[in-house]
This record gives sequence, C-alpha cells and structure tokens, in this order.
Amino acid sequence: MNSHKKTTNRILLIVLVALIISYSLAPFLWQVLTSIKPEKEVISIPPTYLPTKVSFENYKKVFMEKPFGWWIFNSVLVAMGATLLALAAGAPAAYALARLRLRGTGVILKLILVGALFPQIVYLLPLFEMVSALGLMNNPLALIIPYAALNVPFVVWILYSFFRQVPGDLEDAALVDGFSRTGILVKIILPVSAPALATTAILVFIFAWNEFLFAFAFMSRKLAYTVPVGIATLSGGSPYVIPWGQIAAAIVITTMPVVIIILALQRRIVQGLTAGSVKG
Amino acid sequence: MNWFFRAIIVLASAGLIVGCTGEKEATITILISPDHIKGWKAIGEAFSKKYPNLKVNFEAPSSSTDDRQTKYTTCFLAEDAAYDLVYMDIIWVPKFASKGWLEPLDDKFPESARADFLPGDIEGSIYKGKIYRVPMQSDAGMLYFRKDLLEKAKLKPPQTFSELMRACTKLQKKPDLYGYVFQGKQYEGLVCNFLEILWGYGGDVFDSDGKLVINSPEAVKALGWLVDAVRNYQVCPMGVTTYNEEECHRTFQEGHAVFMRNWPYAWSMTQQEGSPVKGKVGIVPMVHAAGKKSAATLGGWGIGISKFSNNKKEAWKFIEFATSAPIQKLLHEREGLIPTRKSLFKDKDILEKSPHYGKLYKVLLGARPRPVHERYTEISDIMQKHLSASLIGDETPRQAARLMAVEIEVALGQK
Amino acid sequence: MDSVLKRYLFLIPVAILLGLIVFYPVLRCAGLSFTTHDGLGFGNYARAFGDARLAATLWNTTVFTVFSLVLEIILGLALALCINVSFRGRGIVRAIVLIPWALPPAVMALGWTWIFNDVYGVASDILYRTGLASEKIAWLATPGKAMLSLVIADVWKTTPFVAIILLAGLQSIPKSLYEAAAIDGAGPVRRFFMITLPLLRPHLLLAVLFRGIQAFGVFDLIWVMTRGGPAGSTETISLYIYRIIYGYLNPGYAAALTIIAFLILLAVAVIISILNRRQHELA
Repeated sequence: MNSHKKTTNRILLIVLVALIISYSLAPFLWQVLTSIKPEKEVISIPPTYLPTKVSFENYKKVFMEKPFGWWIFNSVLVAMGATLLALAAGAPAAYALARLRLRGTGVILKLILVGALFPQIVYLLPLFEMVSALGLMNNPLALIIPYAALNVPFVVWILYSFFRQVPGDLEDAALVDGFSRTGILVKIILPVSAPALATTAILVFIFAWNEFLFAFAFMSRKLAYTVPVGIATLSGGSPYVIPWGQIAAAIVITTMPVVIIILALQRRIVQGLTAGSVKG
Repeated sequence: MNWFFRAIIVLASAGLIVGCTGEKEATITILISPDHIKGWKAIGEAFSKKYPNLKVNFEAPSSSTDDRQTKYTTCFLAEDAAYDLVYMDIIWVPKFASKGWLEPLDDKFPESARADFLPGDIEGSIYKGKIYRVPMQSDAGMLYFRKDLLEKAKLKPPQTFSELMRACTKLQKKPDLYGYVFQGKQYEGLVCNFLEILWGYGGDVFDSDGKLVINSPEAVKALGWLVDAVRNYQVCPMGVTTYNEEECHRTFQEGHAVFMRNWPYAWSMTQQEGSPVKGKVGIVPMVHAAGKKSAATLGGWGIGISKFSNNKKEAWKFIEFATSAPIQKLLHEREGLIPTRKSLFKDKDILEKSPHYGKLYKVLLGARPRPVHERYTEISDIMQKHLSASLIGDETPRQAARLMAVEIEVALGQK
Repeated sequence: MDSVLKRYLFLIPVAILLGLIVFYPVLRCAGLSFTTHDGLGFGNYARAFGDARLAATLWNTTVFTVFSLVLEIILGLALALCINVSFRGRGIVRAIVLIPWALPPAVMALGWTWIFNDVYGVASDILYRTGLASEKIAWLATPGKAMLSLVIADVWKTTPFVAIILLAGLQSIPKSLYEAAAIDGAGPVRRFFMITLPLLRPHLLLAVLFRGIQAFGVFDLIWVMTRGGPAGSTETISLYIYRIIYGYLNPGYAAALTIIAFLILLAVAVIISILNRRQHELA
C-alpha cells in the first residue's frame, strides 16, 4: 500500500518536473534550433520546426564579425561587480537592521524601499550627466555602481527577512566568545544565510546581465559594450530586417555563462539553515 | 582594459595638442545604424585620405531608430559634445532644430547647392526657413504587387483605391493568399501608411497656412478605405493591425499576399536567390483616388551638425564629402542605399545595378515629408492611437478623424 | 560592548549608494517637475489632472500588474514547491527553471511577437489545430487579447524570480516542524496551510512587493510587442513617460508624472504593510 503510494508520487513528480522543464526550456530550445538553421529557413512561413540542414553559419558570423568574447567578458565583469557591491553594501545594513535593534529600523527600511519605487527610465538622464561629467563613459564602473544601487533595496529587504530568522542564541554565544559585530556577521550570520545570499546574488547578477538602457547610454566604445547592447548591433542589413538566426546564436552563447553561474550558486541554496551547524 | 583606454585617451589628447600648431587634427564622431557600417567605414577611409588630419569615428550601436534617437537626445539634453555629426531621420529635424540643438547650414548649403537634391528631401530638412541637414539617403513608400498573379488574371497594376480593392477581392484565396498587407500596428509606420492614402484622397494634416485640417471628409474617406480593407472586404490578414515592415515583407515574400505597401528595402530581398517570388514582383507608386495625385510618404536620412560639437568646421567637411555624388554612388554600390541626388538616377552604373530605379525615381519625386512640425511626435502618437482604434473597430472613421483633430488641438495648446 | 553609534556605521555603504545614485536623481526629478515653460509652479501637476491619457495608462498599468502578479505568485509557489522536493538532477532542473529569467527581455519580446502572430504564430496554430479555436486568432490585434498576451509573456519570464525567492524561504523552514505535524496526523494539505504558508509569508510579501514594483514599471516587453497598441490599450506609465522625455522632449512634465506614479506606488506599499502588520498581530 505504502510503496504503491510512493510509486504514484514518484510518477507524479516526474510528470511535474517534465512539465516544468518544457515550460521553461521550450522557448530556449526554439532559439537553439533557430540558430542552427540556414538563413532562408529561419524566415520561412510557416516555420519549419526542425532544421532540414544544420548550419553553424550564424555562430561564425556572430563570433568572427563581432567582438563577442569582449562583450561577454564585460558583461561578466559588470554583473559580478554589481552583485558583489550590492551584497557588500546590503548585507551589513540588513544585519544591523535585523539584529542590532537600531532605533528607527522601520523607517529606515521603508526609506530604502522608497528607492525602488521609481521607474528606471527616470534615472537615465541625471546619471548620464554624472557619468559624462566624471569622465566615466565606457568605464565598467558607470554600470557597476548604478546596477548595485538599483538592487540594494531588494538585497537589504531579502537579507533582512532571512537574518531575522537566525536564532538569537547563536549570536549571544558568539558575543560571549568575544566576537565583534563584524566578526559575527562574517563568520556566523552570512554562512548560515547562504541560501538567501545565493538567491539574491543570482537575481542581481541576472538583472545586471540583462540591463540594456544604461549600458546603451553609458557605453559608446564598441569594445566596452555588454551583451545586450552587443545583440542590438546585430543587423539584418536593413533597419526593418531582424537577423533572427544571429540573434538566436548570440542568445545561446550568452545564456551559457548564466547557466554556469546559476549552477554554481544554486548548490548554496540547499545549504545554510537546513544543513550544517544550525538547527532551528 | 583600463590602461588600454587610458593610453588611447593620452594619445588622442597628445594628438590634439600637436595638431593645434598646424592644421587641426580631429576625430569627428557620428552615430549611425549598424546596417550599412561597412560602406560607411569605406567612406571614412576615403575621407581621411583626402584630409589626412581628420578621422571619422562611426558609432553603430543599434539597428533600432528609437534607440539611436534616445542616445542622441540624451546627449543633447545633457549638452554633451559626444557627437559632432547628427545622422537624422527626416522627422527628427524640426524637433531637434526647435530646441536649438542643430547648427543651421544655410551659409554652407545655399539654395544653389540644393538644386540637384530630391525636392522632398530638401523640404523635410528645413525648419522655419532654415536648413539643418543635407540629405544622404532617400526612402519612400510604394506599392509592391505580384506581376504573375495580375497577368494571369489579365489585370493591369491598379492606379486607384477602388481598382486596388477590386483586384484584392478578386485575386485573394484565403487563408493562403491575402489581398493586401500594410503596416497596421500602432506605431510610426501606421501614420506613414495612412498619410499616403490621405494625400491620395487630396487631404492633409495641416494646410499650407499651418491650420489643422485633419477632421475633413477626405480623412474620413481615407481611413474608411483602410477600415474597409481590414474589416469589411477583409482583404488583409486579421492580424495586419499588429504588423510592421518585417511581418509584411515576410508574408509577401513567402507568397501569401498579392499587394504590399512597403519601403524600397524589400525589393532586393524579394529578388534574392531562393526567394519564392523572385522575378514575380512589380512596383508602382501608391494608388490614389480617381482624379487625384498619388503621393508617397518620404523617409530618409541626412547629416546635420550638433550645436555642442567642438569640431563644427571639420564636421562640415565630412558632410560635404559624404553627400557628394561620387560618394553617394559608392554607398549605393556597396550597401544598396538610395541616393538623394537626382542626377544619380540617370547614372548608367546605378541603373545597371538597380534597374528598378527608373520607377523608384518617379515615386521619390512624388514623395512628401510628414508634417514638418516641432511637435510632430505628439501629433503622430495621437494619430496612431485613433487610426489603430478605427482599424480594430473601436471608433468609426468619422469619430477617429474628429478625435484626432480635438486631441492634436489640445496637445499643441499645451506648452 | 559596542556603542550605539557604531551600529549605525553598518548602514553607511547603503546610504552612500542610494543617496548618490537613487535619491539625488529623484530629488532632481522632483525639482524638475515644478519647472514649466512659464517658470516655477504646479503647472505640470495641474496638466496631469486633466490628462486622459495618463488616466488610461495608469489603468492599463494596474491591470497588467495585478494579473501578472496573481499568476506569477501562484505559479511561482507551485514551481518552488516542486523543486524543493529532493530528487536526482534537482540542481540541473533548478538551473533550467531560471532560464526564462536569464534571457534578455527585449529579444524574448521579439520572439513572443512571432509566437502570437495571427497566421503563422505557434500560439494561434496550436489552438487551431487542436480544435480549441474555430479560426486563427490575432492575439495582439484586440485590446483584451493583447493585454493577455503581454501578461502571459511577462509571467513566463518572471515566475522564476518568484519561485527562487520562495524556494529560499522554503529551505529555511525547519524540517522538524513538518515531522512533528506528521506525527500529529496532519496530511500534506493541512501541513501546507498550517506550516508552509504562514512561515513563507515574509517571503511571499517580498516577492509581491518587488515583483509588483517591477511590473508597474514594465517597459521593454510592451515597447517591443505592441508599442502600447492597439488603440493605446496596452500603453503603460513607463511607456508614456519615456515618450514624453525622448519623444516630446518635455522632461518637466515627465518628472511630474514620475512623482505621481511614485505616490501611487507608495500608497499601495503603505496599505500592504498595514495589512501585513494587522495579519501579523492576529497570528
């Protein structure tokens, strides 16, 4: 009876997982297929589902004619920089707000949230003026700092909610052991909050990876572009023609680093509170 | 990477200082579309050969016209000198000029020098009596048709709206073959399509005194014809109200439409090797009402000089060079761009490469710029909304024409 | 012991970042909103109150935000529960789940445009072939369906965002609680409502808050797919503000609309937080 139930559960799970995978992956697979189709087949109507002939022409075009390696490098640099900066700034603040019983915690938290309430488009012009006045055009910092700042409210709030769940006796024990507050944050709170950190890191990283508006405005030298701006330079030979094949190839190439980062970070999500030293 | 950029900056500034002693060394920057970057680079090299102390830096960040407009606008609003030259769509001219962001070019580009250019391109470069851009590339809407299908049915290419509609209803075999495709999505292209019909009925948005005349019987008839095509005779695919140029071109190229309104770019693609309609396509000027004249919406690009540029003199040298007949010819040869000089449409080499230019020339001569108004973008947005509402059946053409007039009036009253 | 003042030092990096990059531009924007062609004043705000297009865009934005949010939270929760179960290859599945969030939005929006194409789009083709629709559907051609298409595209893209936040929340619920409840004879459904949902509430709140803000500011997706059409029925506040700045070159009026949009969001956030506190007190 019990084993029978287990089997049905198992099957149900497999079906669900299969559903999830196809839901998430189908459009991406479509990109893969499009990227290896010869140009004519890409725009045929009705669309051919499987390519009749496999061609790597699009990949060659994207890599040979465009400095795609540079763009990926820039994107990784910018996204990593922004993620680290946002976490480095956000984690201490979240810790102080969650654990140090500051006066005005509620107000400060809300003030930080207010920073997230404006559409991004508002920042473009003032930031452009700053970037241009400071001579930061084409400098990765012109993207790293704004991306981090735009994500800091999110980082603080999510870390705040996790830090609050860390049992207080842990901290007290550490204080008795002579840890400083910074020591407690780095040595105890952060390791225990690995799932929250990994989650936040992934989400901030992807935001920075995909951002177009600022990157387009602040990066004018071709070698300084990030991936989304690079994709915008792909051309079908006329403003009205969309180079589907090349865009698909570019997407396939540029999704890989993201998948690798996610795979590396998501392992952390299962650790933390449930694994390791602490039990709730 | 940083040291690399720093080194470039140091080298560049060193060059500037050295240059000051003699003929000025300068790099002038222009923002263009990546679509024809190779041809442009060739022009840049030729230019540097002629003026060894001058260099042109082509920034080609995006195929999207809106993206580039945003980039130019951001720089202008911040009074940034990043771009010396402004490569402008025809509808940007009044907007940028009214803000004082462009250098007037009248003394450098006097009327005598404009004679060889297509009249519409010149008209669209002038704002309040001053000229701000030298036309570089022309563009105008036209009617593509399937020669083979018309011949089989023993039909002549249509000239009037009713002939076009009749041919559509007669030839279409849905769902594999539709009569007519046009740019019906709510965006700038829809206004371009509508204006051609409005002009073809003898109407306009503003009259010659600048009075708003969009709420006219002609406008109701013009919009009525378009609504008929979509809703009553149903000669268009249902989703035509979501189509832009690319959707139209794909439908037509794969042989699913008899007629298509589009820009000249689509021609060479329909004639490519492997195109299902290769050799079966004809072009005519857009149709018109009986007794009226046909008109095409003018697109096209030209080069102006930014008010904030530090290299205005050098920038002009490039404009003069790039818009000259031999260079326009070169750009046509390399990239298939349409010249703006009338003389080039009689050029033997050009006619050999592009035999359809004889017909295209007629279209271009009859092409008209969209309303030259500093608030054109607002006007166009209002038109787009009500044209779209009419095409999906939310407003009758009569209502749409009235609402357009009212809302444009209100918008222009706002400062 | 550390001094109280020292504790506030932890806030300094955030204060600098936000002050410089967020609050300075926002204050400039507020200042700009009082600048009109005839000098300083409330002219821009007065104009906004008579602006029918503003009212329409705010309505469209609200509809889009509410529908997207509800679907995303439901789907995101379901997704999170699935990938929280341990099975072989879970790591890979988790990475795959995140792919929609990782694809560049402007490019995917182009892809969706073709998916929703009337004659040759997959969305129309499948429904037609399976007989669910009697004729091909022009998804983006009518206001209701266009909005629905946008919501679908947005939900597909952002569900992973919700799912991963909730997943991290699920991971922090102690297993012992479930074990205790199981011993007490609580079934899976009961356990979900007794343990999972209440303990997940802070994370649900986070997801709602930040996804709500993002959805309210949606731009790329709609700009590419419909440009706000048909008949302006999908124009959102961000699109309108973008057009006023870069199309109509009127930053002052755009600034006023930004402040108005901000005040609306602020009011909603305050209401949510009050409701949340009341719930908290009840619990």
